[in-house]
Amino acid sequence: MNVQVEHHDKVLVARVEGRVDSSNSQDFERQLQGAIGEDVNAVVIDLGQLAYISSAGLRVVLLVAKTLGQRNVSISLCALSDPVQSVFEISGFNRIIQIYDTQADALAAAG
Amino acid sequence: MGDRDHPDYKILVVDDEPDLERLVRQRMRRHIRKGKYGFEFAGNGVEALEVLTEKTDIDIVLSDINMPKMDGLTLLQQIPEVNSDLRSVIVSAYGDMENIRTAMNRGAFDFVTKPIDFTDLEVTIERTLRHLDEWRAALASRDKLVAIQNELDVATKIQQSILPDTFPHVDGCEVYGCMHAARNVGGDFFDVINLDAGRIGLAVADVSDKGVPAALFMMSSRTLLKGAAIGVEDPSTVLREVNDLLNETNDAAMFVTVFYGVYDPSTRVLTFSNGGHNPPLVVHPDGSSEELELTGGLALGAIPGFEYGQASVRLSPGDLVVFFTDGVTEAINVSNEEFGLESVQALFREPPTPTAREAAEMILQAVKDFAGEAPQFDDLTCMTLRVADE
Repeated sequence: MNVQVEHHDKVLVARVEGRVDSSNSQDFERQLQGAIGEDVNAVVIDLGQLAYISSAGLRVVLLVAKTLGQRNVSISLCALSDPVQSVFEISGFNRIIQIYDTQADALAAAG
Repeated sequence: MGDRDHPDYKILVVDDEPDLERLVRQRMRRHIRKGKYGFEFAGNGVEALEVLTEKTDIDIVLSDINMPKMDGLTLLQQIPEVNSDLRSVIVSAYGDMENIRTAMNRGAFDFVTKPIDFTDLEVTIERTLRHLDEWRAALASRDKLVAIQNELDVATKIQQSILPDTFPHVDGCEVYGCMHAARNVGGDFFDVINLDAGRIGLAVADVSDKGVPAALFMMSSRTLLKGAAIGVEDPSTVLREVNDLLNETNDAAMFVTVFYGVYDPSTRVLTFSNGGHNPPLVVHPDGSSEELELTGGLALGAIPGFEYGQASVRLSPGDLVVFFTDGVTEAINVSNEEFGLESVQALFREPPTPTAREAAEMILQAVKDFAGEAPQFDDLTCMTLRVADE
């Protein structure tokens, strides 16, 4: 698992690669929280290279979304592979976190 | 830091040379005054054992080899029976390798040679005490680990004990369930709740993450669910109530996926609400199977005020409903392949449909066979509802 960060103006894009499960979810949380500085208006998490996410990984996404929500920073996900999309649909997290097909769509919406 | 009456370390000097005591007290006077070392003296092995028996806080025995009554080598053999938490340093004649070797074989930690060079002795004592401190710290953390392990074992028992191990005998159906935690304590649970008019509440759940935090969250989820299930008719209302209660105190953003259904054996209708859980599988007597629909739910604990949907399905005689957690379908083998839903379905493709217990055990066994030596990180839970044959 690896998190790569890019800045597009005040939008932070975090690209997550590999697998996130209970064995590395704490590391995932540290990397993601560490990447999000004070100076962002929106966060886009690109899951295009994410092969698998367990419920422990979902918890980190939820935690980050809640933290950002309190700061009025918007959060969205994009480019989910079919298995990852299905994890978000079954858990119902697609109902509380905005998901876009592509990073471009997510960036356009985050404006 | 110690003082003169309560030194940090106590050293027992064993030697039949009467002048040695005066010499040690004089050369070590600074350490004695500062309360670093305290000294005891004995004239031979027998006296030394008496001192060790009386004073149990000796840290180092510094012993000569040749002494009347009991020599130093014999003393070395006797010491562990009196005190195993000290280290021995032997004083030997220069070049007396044979005795030194024997002493080391009998558990001496180090040696110094005669005539005693007190600078060298101090270095040896310091080294011995450092080793002793590390040894004691290691013992203490081992004891602590053992204590934690014991508490985890108790937690495992508590957790297993709240899972049903007897299942209701109801005309027209049978129910079975089991859970294997990946670690000492797990985040999965299932429950079979006797409701009024012969109906049965069936719940299977999976807390995000594993270990002790998950287990604590699991315990409160299970209690809340049971409480709500007994008082409330609709599964969707049960999940809404539990979700709101879990959201009252949940800073860690933990959540639990819950499938909750109420089965009425008199009508064979299963009414259910899915709170973000992987959908159960309905296996028909001809071996075909399909998943129950999602009901527009959300994992419990994620956000308050969420409205859950619900749906109903009328089961047929001989149908088998398999409720499980994703530890089953996401179990991986040594090649990193997932067990998958298809593998569960394949188990039941050939009629006849097994009993509830057989079905659950078949699934867990198949997962174990598939996983082989690959380490498993997720709990495995499987609950089955088998409608009686016509």
